[in-house]
Amino acid sequence: MAIDKVTLEILKNHTRAAAESMAFTLYRTAHSTFVKETEDFTTGLVTPDGETFATPTELGATWFVNLNYGRAIKMIEDYEPGDICMTNDPYSGFVCTHSPDMHIWKPIFYEGEIVAFSVGHIHNTDVGGAVPASLSRTLTEVYQEGIRIPPAKIMQEGELNKQVLDIFLANVRAPDQNWGDLKAQIAACNTGERKVLEMIERFGIDIFREGMDDLLDYAEAQARRIISDLPDGRYPFADFMDEDAVGGWPCRLMLALIIEGDSLVFDFTGSDPQLESSLNMPTGGDERHTLLMTGLTYVLYSLDPSLYLNAGIARVCRCILPSGTIMNPVFPAAVGMRTLSCSRLQGLIIGAFAPAAPDRLAGAPASGGPIMNVNTIDNRTGRRIMAAINPMTGGGGGRAVADGMDGSGANQGFLKNTPVEVNEVEAGIKVLRYGLAQNSAGPGQHRGGLGTEMVFQAFSPNTKVTARNRDRTRFTGWGIAEGLAGGASKFLLNPGTNQEVNLGNTDILTMGPGDILHVSSGGAGGWGDPFKRDPAAVLLDVQRGWATLDHARETYGVVIIDGAVDLAATETERAARACAPAEGFYDLGPERTAFEKVWTDANYEALTEQLAMLPVHWRYYAKHRIFAAIDAMPADARTGDGSDVRQVFDAIVEEFPELRAAAAGL
Amino acid sequence: MSIRVGVDIGGTFTDFCVYDDATGVMQTFKTFSTPTTPGAEVMNGVAELERRFGHPPADISYFTHGTTVGVNTVIQRRGAALALFTTREFEDVLVVARLKTPDPYDLFSERPAPLAPRERVYGLSERTLKDGSIETPVDAADVARAVAQAKAAGAETIVVALLHAYANPANERAARDAILAAAPEMTVTLSSDVWPVIREYERTVTATVAGYVQQQVAHYIASLQQALKDAGVQAEPMITKSNGGVMTAELGKTAPIATLLSGTASGVIGAADVAARIGAADVLSFDVGGTSADVAVINGGAPAFGVGEMVGEFPIYVPTVSVTSIGEGGGSIAWVDDFGVLKVGPESAGSTPGPACYGRGGTRPTITDAFAVLGLLGAGELGYGAVSLDKAAAERAVLTLSAPLGLSVQATAESIIRVSISGMYLEISKLMSRHGADPRGFSLLAFGGAGPMTACLLARDLGLAQVIVPPTPGVLSAYGGLIADIRNDFIRTAFVDLDVAGLKALDGYAVDLEAQALHWLRQEQGFQGEARLVWTADMRYRGQSYEIETLVNRADIASGALAPLGAAFHREHERVYDHADPDAPVQIVNLRLVVSGSVPKPEFTESPAASGPPSPLGEAEVYLDGQTRTAQIFARADLAPGHSFSGMAIITQDDCTTIVPPGQRVRVDGWGNLLIEAEG
Repeated sequence: MAIDKVTLEILKNHTRAAAESMAFTLYRTAHSTFVKETEDFTTGLVTPDGETFATPTELGATWFVNLNYGRAIKMIEDYEPGDICMTNDPYSGFVCTHSPDMHIWKPIFYEGEIVAFSVGHIHNTDVGGAVPASLSRTLTEVYQEGIRIPPAKIMQEGELNKQVLDIFLANVRAPDQNWGDLKAQIAACNTGERKVLEMIERFGIDIFREGMDDLLDYAEAQARRIISDLPDGRYPFADFMDEDAVGGWPCRLMLALIIEGDSLVFDFTGSDPQLESSLNMPTGGDERHTLLMTGLTYVLYSLDPSLYLNAGIARVCRCILPSGTIMNPVFPAAVGMRTLSCSRLQGLIIGAFAPAAPDRLAGAPASGGPIMNVNTIDNRTGRRIMAAINPMTGGGGGRAVADGMDGSGANQGFLKNTPVEVNEVEAGIKVLRYGLAQNSAGPGQHRGGLGTEMVFQAFSPNTKVTARNRDRTRFTGWGIAEGLAGGASKFLLNPGTNQEVNLGNTDILTMGPGDILHVSSGGAGGWGDPFKRDPAAVLLDVQRGWATLDHARETYGVVIIDGAVDLAATETERAARACAPAEGFYDLGPERTAFEKVWTDANYEALTEQLAMLPVHWRYYAKHRIFAAIDAMPADARTGDGSDVRQVFDAIVEEFPELRAAAAGL
Repeated sequence: MSIRVGVDIGGTFTDFCVYDDATGVMQTFKTFSTPTTPGAEVMNGVAELERRFGHPPADISYFTHGTTVGVNTVIQRRGAALALFTTREFEDVLVVARLKTPDPYDLFSERPAPLAPRERVYGLSERTLKDGSIETPVDAADVARAVAQAKAAGAETIVVALLHAYANPANERAARDAILAAAPEMTVTLSSDVWPVIREYERTVTATVAGYVQQQVAHYIASLQQALKDAGVQAEPMITKSNGGVMTAELGKTAPIATLLSGTASGVIGAADVAARIGAADVLSFDVGGTSADVAVINGGAPAFGVGEMVGEFPIYVPTVSVTSIGEGGGSIAWVDDFGVLKVGPESAGSTPGPACYGRGGTRPTITDAFAVLGLLGAGELGYGAVSLDKAAAERAVLTLSAPLGLSVQATAESIIRVSISGMYLEISKLMSRHGADPRGFSLLAFGGAGPMTACLLARDLGLAQVIVPPTPGVLSAYGGLIADIRNDFIRTAFVDLDVAGLKALDGYAVDLEAQALHWLRQEQGFQGEARLVWTADMRYRGQSYEIETLVNRADIASGALAPLGAAFHREHERVYDHADPDAPVQIVNLRLVVSGSVPKPEFTESPAASGPPSPLGEAEVYLDGQTRTAQIFARADLAPGHSFSGMAIITQDDCTTIVPPGQRVRVDGWGNLLIEAEG
């Protein structure tokens, strides 16, 4: 580091003041309610090379600490003072990660030179395209996800570029909102510019320039120190989404975490081919892309909350990202719903680190609950109502020192709910229950956090409910260190009646008057042997209505009689049912365990190897053919050693002559 | 002889502000706080009053008092054992809260454990619908069962918070009747009594905090009333409130929730009063004590109010003067991290052991020690002579950081101050941005023991227009309580569109609120003067999830005048968010009424300017901005209106020290305030 350690701390506070002031300016002046409710935006300062050195932590999304504007910055040839550039194209510069996110950057000039950029993005409620809000899992090409503006100057030497603006606004459903939000972004960037110039006046240009690098070095040094405390090794782990498309096959995310001294490699080889749904993550092959680094930031910050948050953190890690996979899709794969896959990826990274720090990290964060909207008609006024209702969240995983936080936590801690009373007044529904989902926690000596659940009734015909990011009805959140997996998420229409329908991972449905919908998140994974859980803690969960007596007895071996633990009976119960500790570090839950008996590591290795030979646009198709074929095989005919997969693959190549050259070429 | 007395209890000192009606003279003093026997410090002060000024207790005609008993009860978690009765199927309301965790970057961040533990939450079979109609009435037998369970579980107080009770409190009241029928000894708190506002978590958490502190605060106030009476004080004591007003102690016993954040609120009221007198409209009040700096925005002369202000770990939603607490005070400890970077706070030496230079056992370097090392403190007495300053101890403490930083002891001390100031700069920048305010138009009104010490340095960094140091900065909260009006807030959730039918409903609510407000002021407070009614409405565009409190005209509601009400909201939206949408439909979520009655206030007259320069006490060698300088030392008591001089200067008084760096100029105004601005 070049500047002294006192000035560094002072400069740090001033750069943070700039980033936070930008965030407050944007938040205060943004037009759309969406921004105010979800805080789905960022602001910050980046170096001339595009590395984020200052980011707000009080407001805004948590995913963009490591955002790098470098490739987007280079796509504009000349910068003049007063310019502001923007893009919302996930395939131009790889700063934007789905089309609703409009990113803007403003060069900050000092004595004729660019010394930094002030930057930021807002998730626009809509940017046009096939569906309102521009997001749907069913979309297959980015063309369907709305207008895309490749990097372009929206302000040129202080003058608004009205042509670009008009093209943008002509293609969106609520142009006033987009324009209002864009103005807020511009105001935020101007605030950032002013603050940077004040800093230069105060500290001098040399200290400011060196200080930017030093702040990045400082975060990097902290991150390296945290990693040095972890044992070297290769830590492979996989996690799944239940479906790779509506009604599709499971989608696998694979990571081999390699810890070497104070550095990391994330090898994502073995992850699924890019999908023909919008769950792809557009990283552009950037080996330190912020979407890939978010899980890392969570882990390192949680291990040491004194970690300063900026893109210096990403310097400790390098990703291996085979092209044409879900982590590195090839244009024009749809990417709109990367929220679900990114969230799963964060969990995957947390899980891969867990065996390296089993007493400091936690079981799987809960997930699978949706972000929900209701579109109905108010019977009294006849007015159509569209309202966001609760995000259905779940808690954090159990860990060595404590149970997981219930209801929300871990990587979902940034979400807010909508009050029941407001839902009833505004959304035209009646809420019958909102609270924690009984027995949903992953059992453990320290259990995972419970999921939330909501039950509500509709009153009008043709009430549409959208439930984005539904998942985890099948593969649940893993437990660690002898802790067990959490409960599944649920989505049931008219539960407990003869019209009950299990909606699985459906994300759009229509309710009629009187229909009742039950929706819940999965629970988080547990830590440690459930039989070692303090019986008093099990009793407390029963008293709190969070666990049933049966659950206490079956899962924890705790016998509760007349509201008190029967210690003797508990001891007997636990002794009688004691069994050898589970194999492996993770408990993956029954569904995934059964699935992986068929889809073994060997099968996945064969699949990865074979699909890589095919042109990208054939891979997803071939995957589905192979899954269908393996599924159709009698169980006793499956070998699980990869040979079945190779045979099916060979048959597909045989069937399509155009694939032979590709397959033979490798 | 008649005097008026304001008392504010702090962590170390209890401040007294005494105004003599006959002479128009205001005097102040401090006694040590007695945290283990709350109330004793007040009685000590009453005795001191007679000893110092010859005022027997019978002279006291008006007595205001801010208590910290409620807030300490929450922070130390020693309130009543609570049970909570909710609507069945919604028992997890406090656990789930609004979901968001305190630090969303931390996977292990946790919301605080609720004051009513989940195992003592009982769901009732009852339901009120969104329009206030009762779908399922309360069943007394069902309640009695819950009461039996709650009692068996050790509950001392039952909080009742049922869905949509803001629209119709009938079920909550029926539940209370049933509880008292089953257990007449039980204390019961209803969410619809505490603050009947829509949003069940916010209403419930506010009600639980109210229930939690109820008995302790009531007990404290009762003993204080008795003690004052025994001592011969005739006046009924008034209790300061978080809304910047006061109420009778008698009422304080039943509405303790309103007192919780009164200490900081009174300071802001005092600051606003000082600012108003000198015509400073936009002011940051800056109250720095041992562990924190409390900052509030006074914009256009009016303190900003907040919702969800924190009491310990819990937000409360009763109207509260909004204060941002920055975790840096005179006692904040400096340290060097593993990478050699200098940090200040959040750990604080507090009042025990306190800074090393207080000689009470502190050994780690604090901000106060850094000032002492530089020679900026210690020229006068500190804390009314209660604490002496040990500069050598300060140097020893600061020296521990000199080696890792590779700096001289003085450079280390100055670095500590600079880092500390930059931390405050960060937090105040955020606050200003949140309000969309430009610091260059704001004055910094510094008070509290450590405020005037750091104010000029901070104002310099923030680019603030000027620093104001009032004559008695150490007791501004006590003064704020003394001048506060009798004041109370009323709310009715309306949730109507801004249309003819909506206004008709609103008018009905307004009639109810006005009756409640006047009953409170006349009957409950016994106030016979002019009643001041201020109407506001929480309004928003349809589709928004947040409201803006907008000043409205009662007559417009009565006459159904849509246009002026809409215009008022559009204007306010423009002011707060920089834009408005005059064509969009508007909703009114809540109607609010503030009722107040003015109390007599001290009258100050502007003194004529003194002639001639002030005479300094002497000079001292100090270190600031990287070099040794000579500072002129002034006694505050020697400064008179019209005096003017430039830094480097140090102004000492009983309870604080004002530091004026080079390049800044001090002027004493006609009311004795120090006004400090950049020179030239």
